[in-house]
Amino acid sequence: MDATFSRLTMTAASAMLLLALVVLWRRHVSAYITAFRTQSVVLAFVGGVVAWYGHVPELFFVSVVILILKGWIVPWVLSGMETRRHSARELHPLVNTETSLLVCGALAVAAYEISRPLAEVMNLATRGGLPVALALIFVSLFIVVSRREAIAQIVGFLMLENGIALLALLGAYGVPLVVEMGVFLDVLLGVLVMQAVVYHIYETSAD
Amino acid sequence: MDLILVLALLTPPFAAALLALVVRREPGRVAWLNALTMPVSFATAAAIAVRLAEGGAPVVVGDLWRLDALSALLAVLVSGVATLAAALGPGLDRGHRVPAGETRTFRLWANLFAFTMLVAVSTGNLGVMWVAIEATTVTSALLIPLRRTKASVDASWKYLLIGSVGIALAFTGTVLAYVDFATTGADINVALHWTSLRAAATALHPQVARLAFVFLLVGFGTKAGLAPMHMWLPDAHSEAPSPLSAMMSGVLLAVALYAIVRWKTIVDLAVGSAFSDSLLIIVGMTTAAVGSFSLLSQTHFKRLLAFSSIEHMGLACFGLALGPLGVFAALLHLSAHALAKSAAFLLSGRVLERYGSGTIAGARGLLVTAPHTAVLFAAGIFALGGLPPFGLFLSEILIVKAGWEAGHPVLTGIVLVLLLVAFGSLLVQLHRMLFGAAAPGVVRGERATVSVVLLAIPVMLLVWLGVSMPPQLQSLLNHAVLVVRP
Repeated sequence: MDATFSRLTMTAASAMLLLALVVLWRRHVSAYITAFRTQSVVLAFVGGVVAWYGHVPELFFVSVVILILKGWIVPWVLSGMETRRHSARELHPLVNTETSLLVCGALAVAAYEISRPLAEVMNLATRGGLPVALALIFVSLFIVVSRREAIAQIVGFLMLENGIALLALLGAYGVPLVVEMGVFLDVLLGVLVMQAVVYHIYETSAD
Repeated sequence: MDLILVLALLTPPFAAALLALVVRREPGRVAWLNALTMPVSFATAAAIAVRLAEGGAPVVVGDLWRLDALSALLAVLVSGVATLAAALGPGLDRGHRVPAGETRTFRLWANLFAFTMLVAVSTGNLGVMWVAIEATTVTSALLIPLRRTKASVDASWKYLLIGSVGIALAFTGTVLAYVDFATTGADINVALHWTSLRAAATALHPQVARLAFVFLLVGFGTKAGLAPMHMWLPDAHSEAPSPLSAMMSGVLLAVALYAIVRWKTIVDLAVGSAFSDSLLIIVGMTTAAVGSFSLLSQTHFKRLLAFSSIEHMGLACFGLALGPLGVFAALLHLSAHALAKSAAFLLSGRVLERYGSGTIAGARGLLVTAPHTAVLFAAGIFALGGLPPFGLFLSEILIVKAGWEAGHPVLTGIVLVLLLVAFGSLLVQLHRMLFGAAAPGVVRGERATVSVVLLAIPVMLLVWLGVSMPPQLQSLLNHAVLVVRP
């Protein structure tokens, strides 16, 4: 039972990290959005698994909200922004693909090193995934600082949020519901405000 | 009773924001209502502060709301500056008409911004505190490009992105602390509550608590403008409309430092204060140095004020690491800075309006063109430079004293040098603005309007603070120190 639980969460967490790495070599915004959408669906799956095996029924509800908000609404807003950008031209990151992948490898190693004390004090079946969650946080941060286009930075930021949600799910079976709901509200408002500001950027740079 | 207090504190800004959202016509009336009801929020915060200063019990409502002396101090600052900004914001001055849309946008977001800051300081749940501080970024970012210039839109984006990412790191720290708490076997339903966190703090695992604090310091430090995460601050604070700059510089930075102080208290109980103190000293000194050495090279007066905020946050951060006296000094410093910086930013808005330019060189002859504004602005700059008889002089002396007594003579010496550099630079820049011949075409002379009288209030309060500290404030600060260092 615990072995299945542990294996399922570990596999899903690794899948989420891989989906973040996709952003590093793809050059089109649509690929970024697809990667984020898929990652969010996997996150919702992790929520469901933790709810089932960890006996935390309220996480089923959280998973459904993740699915609706991050798997559907947010990607839809992002697609709208991409349409408004008027150009399907390639993105030009500040760091080339090879270097990016090397840096992210180093970040993953660092995440394992940093999270060692955390894994030592925990006895949950999910603890194996914690370094992966931390690695996802670091890789997402790297995406934000190494991309020039606003929309790519937003995707990086959203993946960072996914990484933190994964950390909370694996580390403590989710944060208290009132905080969780507040976070969802912030993500939704945050993305809408980011969209508004990015439209302002398009307007002012068109002049 | 406590429920009424919390409602009276939070309702005025929230209701005003709702009203601005719903009422499409005549935003001027919304503005009036806003200016007339915000004092209710301020008076409530003051009443709570007096109760706690007299040793009363914290204001507690349910699981969510809890105001102790530290919260009350911040609530007074936030609601005070928000009241000033509401009274001086767009839509009220008949002599100076602004587009109706601008008034409406301002009243909507500025009030939501004040509301989120008040929630952040009045909640007893550190998870909700994080949610509220994250929301401060969202509510203030759209207001920065009120006039859609390219510079303001870019500043807004930089602020939004760096602020959101920084605050996400703070959430990582919050989650790490929560994970740690969950492993101690305590009731996780109340895990992020201040009282239960503090009770369980000694059982936390030191390594995890340290890791969490690093994330929290970097995250909330980004919002507090601590170096090297301060790059967004000069742009955002200088491009924002002046009443918003006043709120961002005067109190938002203080609210972010408040979050750091809360977590520092918990982490100190788990691992001892040496760890967090040394981090705060390094970050504080770096920030103060970045701020003070950047002052002289600024060419725009609002950027000058923004870098001065960075310097003062560095000083406060340094003070927080210096034991009880240092915490006392840092909290006093934050209070005095809130008064001085909000007044200075609001006055800079008047200068900007008069000259139509934000450059220091372009605002020559201020004493002749706008004498009232000039005198108050000069007083504000003197206060920020740490000159007596203003409140910041007192708090800076106390920070230096605390540094000396805590056994950091070299660092204290460096702080003194930084203070002198900041003072000299501010004085040189002020001199450039006050004197000289104003450009032809700039209107000369100024009437003593209600706005001028309102702006004189924070300046007079600063003098009061510096000359004789009110005993209630002293008592409130002492109680707040006890919250941080039990």
